[in-house]
Amino acid sequence: MFVAVRDLRRSWRRFGLVGLVVVLVAALSTIVVGLSDGLVEQGTSGLRDLPFDHLAFEPHAQATFSRSTLDESQLRTWERHATASPLGVAFVNAAGKAGASIDIALFGVPADSFLVERADARAALAGPPGLVLSHAFEEQGVRVGDRFQMGGSGVELPVLGFTYAGSYGHVDLAFTSLATWRSINYGADPKGRFSAIALRVPGGTDVAAVDRLAGTDTLTKQAAYAGSPGYTAETQTMTMIRVFLLVISALIVGAFFTVLTLQRTRQVGVLKAMGASSGYVIRDGLVQIAVVVVAATAAGTLAGGALIAAMSGGAVPVRFSATSVTSAAVTLAVAGVIGGAVTLRRITRVEPSVALGVEA
Amino acid sequence: MSGTLALRGVRAAVPDGTGERVLLDGVDLDLRPGEITVITGRSGSGKSTLLSIAGLLRRPAIGEVLLHADPTATLSERHRTRLRGRQIGIVYQSANLIPNLTALEQLQLVAHVLGRRHGATERARGLLADLGVGGQEGSLPGKLSGGERQRVGIARALMAEPSVLLADEPTAALDPELAEQVSDLLARVTRERELATLIVTHDQAPLSQADVHLHLADGRLT
Repeated sequence: MFVAVRDLRRSWRRFGLVGLVVVLVAALSTIVVGLSDGLVEQGTSGLRDLPFDHLAFEPHAQATFSRSTLDESQLRTWERHATASPLGVAFVNAAGKAGASIDIALFGVPADSFLVERADARAALAGPPGLVLSHAFEEQGVRVGDRFQMGGSGVELPVLGFTYAGSYGHVDLAFTSLATWRSINYGADPKGRFSAIALRVPGGTDVAAVDRLAGTDTLTKQAAYAGSPGYTAETQTMTMIRVFLLVISALIVGAFFTVLTLQRTRQVGVLKAMGASSGYVIRDGLVQIAVVVVAATAAGTLAGGALIAAMSGGAVPVRFSATSVTSAAVTLAVAGVIGGAVTLRRITRVEPSVALGVEA
Repeated sequence: MSGTLALRGVRAAVPDGTGERVLLDGVDLDLRPGEITVITGRSGSGKSTLLSIAGLLRRPAIGEVLLHADPTATLSERHRTRLRGRQIGIVYQSANLIPNLTALEQLQLVAHVLGRRHGATERARGLLADLGVGGQEGSLPGKLSGGERQRVGIARALMAEPSVLLADEPTAALDPELAEQVSDLLARVTRERELATLIVTHDQAPLSQADVHLHLADGRLT
């Protein structure tokens, strides 16, 4: 790396140009990662924060609560094999007084469910019907005691309190008792129905066998995220953008170093003529590529991270996760280095005689 | 008996339309220690091809290159590269210095490539001073005059302490006065270091220092 380091120091403007492009790609990649994590957060945090590990749905519901209806007999089957709780999930428009309305992802759970960990929450759900809303609604001006008409059900509920409950399908959560949830969704004749069964499945349980007994389709918590509205489309779109950015980065670095290697053909010949092996010259080039790509990626990632921090809390759903951002930055850097390294193959084909202007 | 470097029956040709043009046709050559051999010839006569074969930069189609009487034709490319780095110094027409290295670093690079870093800086400084460019140690090639670049190029060629010095048109890019100085310098280092030196040129300046003068025409040395 004798030549590489001095080249970088004394021709920094030349490398700065490709570095700047990689900085921008890395910044964009970081923002996309932040946006992707933010969308996932908005889509699934309501499920993620609940203390279960599996969800049992009606067969063929594809993890979608609105397509799944289970009953008490299926719950009892599961209770013999795991800790189980009925769970009702529905999207409801709640109309307040003076025409103000809010959209809520309404989760109905029994007060004694293992899903309700806090004593004050249990007490609220065990008492008269009402709503425990996500803190996001408090920030929108909703107050304890405000009353809301639940969709077209005719059920009117007061706000009992607020909790850090996250959101599901980009809609902030609200909890109510399972009985109240049923009355909103099924009226006077609920027939013991609910959407799904939240489970804590002990290790070694044959989930498929219990599914056959209960007539359910059980998924892990992670797999159940796919049922969140828009989740699959959003994650696939973000993944596609990130893949494009990886390819773009690799191609840009590759194109730059291809031109650089072509310009240096005679220099490579001189190095070989003075006794340098192809390996020596390639190592030199690799160091140059690695320094440019890693430094530019780090700078771009920092810039992107700063932008995510600035955007947090605003209208754009971004979330900073050090693990995701670091992983994306490392992948981007590796793609860039590979893109550049591929061009170095050309060095092995340069004959030392080109130093004299003689074609071999 | 062969010299430090010897060519035996060397043939080289380049594609020319559907056929080929013979540049070297059974060339024999001996380079001896402390002796300057100058080969002249018109442009395109094959002088640089001859130099590249003598410098183990390319293999002849037919024939053999002997270095210290040892054949090199069957050596692997890796072995030839190592041999070239340690035994053969090359001076180029326009010095061919690496653009982003100072004069001192041009020489340190040779030591770095060959893995002989111990004492390299002192040796490099000594060489630059000996060749009259000691004051330009920290200068990049772009800041050096043509004559200074060529002196640094010669110093770089000597850095590996080779036994053979090859020079390709070393004075072609210089004015007559500088060309004379560089020729004198090549002659001095050849005598002082007992180098087997080969200069290919179409310039007259190196001829004044030649111990052996050969002319290359129609693929043959006369």
